Order: sequence, then structure tokens, then C-alpha cells
Amino acid sequence: MSNTNLLELHNISKSFGALTALRNLSFHIGEGEVVGLLGDNGAGKSTTVNLISGIHKPTDGYLSIDGKKTTFTCRSDSADAGIETIYQHTALVDSLSITRNIFMGRELTDRFGFLRQREMRDIAMDVLQNAVHISGIDSPDTLVGNLSGGQKQAVAIARAVYFKKRVLLLDEPTSALSVRETEALLNQVLKLKAENVSSVLVTHNIYHAYQVCDRFVIMSHGTKVFDVDKADTTINQLTEYVVLT
Amino acid sequence: MGMPAGAIFLVFMTLQIVCIAGALLFPNEFRYLSPQNLTILMKAIPVLGCLALGAGVLMIAGEFDLSIGSVYTFTAVLMASLVGAGLSAFVAAPLGILAGVMIGLLNGHITLRFGLPSFIVTLGGLLFWRGAVLLYNGAVQVRFDPEPIFTSLFSGTLLGINAAFIWIVLFVVGFHFLVHRHRFGNHVFATGGNRAAAEAIGINTNRVKLIAFAIAGGMAAVAGILATTRVGSVQPGQGAGLELQAIAACVIGGLSLRGGRGAIIGIFLGVLLIHTITDVLLLLRAPGFYLDMFIATLIVLAAIFNHLIERRGLA
Repeated sequence: MSNTNLLELHNISKSFGALTALRNLSFHIGEGEVVGLLGDNGAGKSTTVNLISGIHKPTDGYLSIDGKKTTFTCRSDSADAGIETIYQHTALVDSLSITRNIFMGRELTDRFGFLRQREMRDIAMDVLQNAVHISGIDSPDTLVGNLSGGQKQAVAIARAVYFKKRVLLLDEPTSALSVRETEALLNQVLKLKAENVSSVLVTHNIYHAYQVCDRFVIMSHGTKVFDVDKADTTINQLTEYVVLT
Repeated sequence: MGMPAGAIFLVFMTLQIVCIAGALLFPNEFRYLSPQNLTILMKAIPVLGCLALGAGVLMIAGEFDLSIGSVYTFTAVLMASLVGAGLSAFVAAPLGILAGVMIGLLNGHITLRFGLPSFIVTLGGLLFWRGAVLLYNGAVQVRFDPEPIFTSLFSGTLLGINAAFIWIVLFVVGFHFLVHRHRFGNHVFATGGNRAAAEAIGINTNRVKLIAFAIAGGMAAVAGILATTRVGSVQPGQGAGLELQAIAACVIGGLSLRGGRGAIIGIFLGVLLIHTITDVLLLLRAPGFYLDMFIATLIVLAAIFNHLIERRGLA
């Protein structure tokens, strides 16, 4: 792990009218680091996700990427900076094939805009087989609507992998998954880490986070209450912080 | 070919085999294969075909256009009267298409700007443009006398095949490539299939829908050109009900009413099926109401079938 911080939040506050969702929140994500962003419902996790992915703008404070101050005005800004957000209800189109979903909005085309279908299919096949192992998928032509929740998330991750994202922001990734799918997803996060891709696991399942995260950031009432390396804490201590603060 | 289009293809082929067998067995009673009948079929298909292609792309994008029947009449009247005033048909026809595109854009703009159901906005369009025809022209028919070369280009014959039929085949091929092989088509499916996902990935879904509205309006005008050139005049009431037939053809062809699903070849097969059934009933001298009842049954059966496929696909 290098010492550069890929993404930093500096004293960020966010208000919606009279409601303060985030207060003076600062934390960082290093390169190739897996961070668990924990907290009970209403702690401000979702607002933080939306802020990092460019959907919300901070009322105060700022983000930096590679130490450089940045402002995201929309989601594609964060995508350009290498951040891919994978939501609970993943942003996929059920009526289209896996290939078309992976390349959605970033299609490979000739100069007239016609799709280079075979090339996209070959890449999708390769990504599915080598980068992301999705059990039970034999063809990139399968419609996404026929996949399970875990398989869909794997497709979304495949998309991030192919487009060489640097940070995956996983918002409650395991909440809709079976035990086996959860295992597969967590292994995927570790595999990406080996390739120097960072992940932020936003969850209130401390056990899942504990399995893969290097560090934990615990939020309560819109701010950070605890920031600790895995080596320096236990699952009991994390639980106490989430429950008692 | 996907599942709904594949099924409609089977239905279509079965019907063709039955019709051809019937025509061979009873050549005098059932003149399905007579040159006159085939010519009538080839002349009838392109008009509904153009309307359905435009309506279909818009349906895949997740919106409806009920105004296309009225727009079809309005743009035809506009074109015919411009030619009557001395303008070349080669200028008037593009102006008619431009008017159709502008009306489509207006429908789309109102729908998207105010977040309304397109069903309501274009129902307004249906009544408005029907009224506009009467305001502009009165309830009299308009003669259409273009240059002879224009007539032969759109209603002549090439190697025994009707020119309008060649046009619709070209349109089907063009639309197939646009919708299934081009980036724009991919965005149309994404917009209709899951708008939130399409936006999250950075697709400008309003722009996609607006273009689809423009295509629907433009194709309505093209249908008007083909029909008017064939007949040589425009009746102010001629487009009534065509919008529903176009949507029916789309549904029969396997398009989802919720958007995001369908195939261009399915739309065309839906049009062919409607016209084949119409033709068979006419040849059998069945009263007109049988036709409506037949098409009605076909639409509902097709909708049920599509719904079952969709549910299985989403399970």
C-alpha cells in the first residue's frame, strides 16, 4: 500500500434546508485499500455516498483526488475521476444483454456510431470469465433480467473493472444477496484489491465488513466517530461504536 | 430473432402457408395469389408500416404518440396544398416531413418539460391537429399533382414491385440498423427499459426521448407522402384511427407497453399480419366488423403473450 491518498474528504458538511445530514466529516481512502463505512440507519452513510459519487455537492468542505481539490457537479464527473458507485438496486437495464449493459453509455462504435458488436461481446466474455467469476452465467448475451441479485452486482463490478475504475463505492452490497453470493462478492473485492483497486463498503453488516476491510470508518449523526485499522480493533469494539454512539 | 418476434414470425408464416394453400386449391374463389390482390397488399402495407416504425421506436423509448394519425393527415394536406400553390413536390415533401418532425418535438417537449404522460399530451395532439386540418383547409379533399417523376418515385413500379413497398423495406432495414446496431438504438432501449439506470450511466434520456418523438412525427409525414402520392389526393378525415392501428401493429409485433423491449422486424411483421388478415377477410367478403373483431382479438392475445414472456424474463 502506498502513502498517497486516492480520495480525501476534508471537513465536509451537508445541509438540506434546516436538516444537517453531515457535519465536519473527514476521512480518506488509500490506494488499494478496502474501507468499511459503518453506521446505523440515519448516520449519514447514503449522503456520503451521494456526495462522493457527485449527486450531492457539499455545503462546506471539499473532496480531493490524489491530493488535488476537486468539485463534482454530476455523477459523470466522479466516473471520470475513476469512482464507480454500485447501488443496491444496481443501475442495469433488465431488458438488455450483459454485453450491452457493460458498455452502456460507453459503446465501442465505428465513426458513424454503429456498434462494434463482436468486439464488445468478446471483451464482455473475457471480463466475465477472467476478471469477475460469476457462477451460472455461460454467455454475455444473457439478458440481465434473468440474473440473480448477486449476478447483477457482478455485472456492475465487471463494468467497473473493464473501465479501469480506481475506487468502487458499494452501497449496501450484500443486503439482497444469498450467503454464497455474499462470499463471492467479498472475494471479488479482495481480488480487485490485489489489482490495486480500492473499495468502500457502505454497510451496516459489521461481519461482512470485518471479513474484507483494512480499515473502518464509523459514522454517527452525520460525522465520523471512529477511524481504526483492522489490526487495532475487534468486532465487539466496532459493534459498540455503531450501537452506542 | 428474439422470442416475441420469433413467435409472431411463426404465426405469420403459418397464415401465409394456409392462404397460399387455399389460393392454390380454390384459385377462383380465393384469389389471394392473383396479381391484383398482391398489388393491393403491397400498396396498403407501406403507409401503416411507416406509422408503426415511428410509433414503435417511441414505444421502445417508453412513450406513446396518439397524434400520428392526425399529423399524417395534416402534413399531407400541407404538402398537397403547397404543391397546389405551385411549389415543387421535391420541396413540399421535405417541408411536410419537417412539419411532422416539429410537431413530434413539440409533443416531446411538452411531455418532458412538464413530466406528463405522453398518452395525454398526444391525445391533445390528436384532436388539435385534426382540428387544424379543418381550420387550414376545410372539409374538402385536396388534389395532389406532383411532377411525374415524383409520382413514379413513390408509387411507380420497379421490376413489378410497387415503389412504396420498396421504400418501406428500405425503411425497415434502416430502422433495424438504427435501433439494433447503432449507439442511438442502444440508448433508446436503455431509456425505455430503466430510465434511472440510463441516467445514472450518463445517458441523456430526455434527448433520446425527444429524438424518438421527432422520428414518430417525421415517419407520420412520410406515411402521408406515400398515401397521398398513391391516391393523388388527401381526404381531411383519412388518418382517423391509424394511430391505434400503428400501436396495435407494435403490440402484435412484440413491443412492451412499458418500453425497453421489442424488435423492428416484429413491428413490420405486426403490420404484415394486420394487412394479411384484412385482405383475407375482404377476399372472403366478410363484413367489416369481423375485421375489427379479429384485429382486437389478435391485439389482446399478443399483449397477453408478451406479458407472459416479460414476466418470465424478469423472474
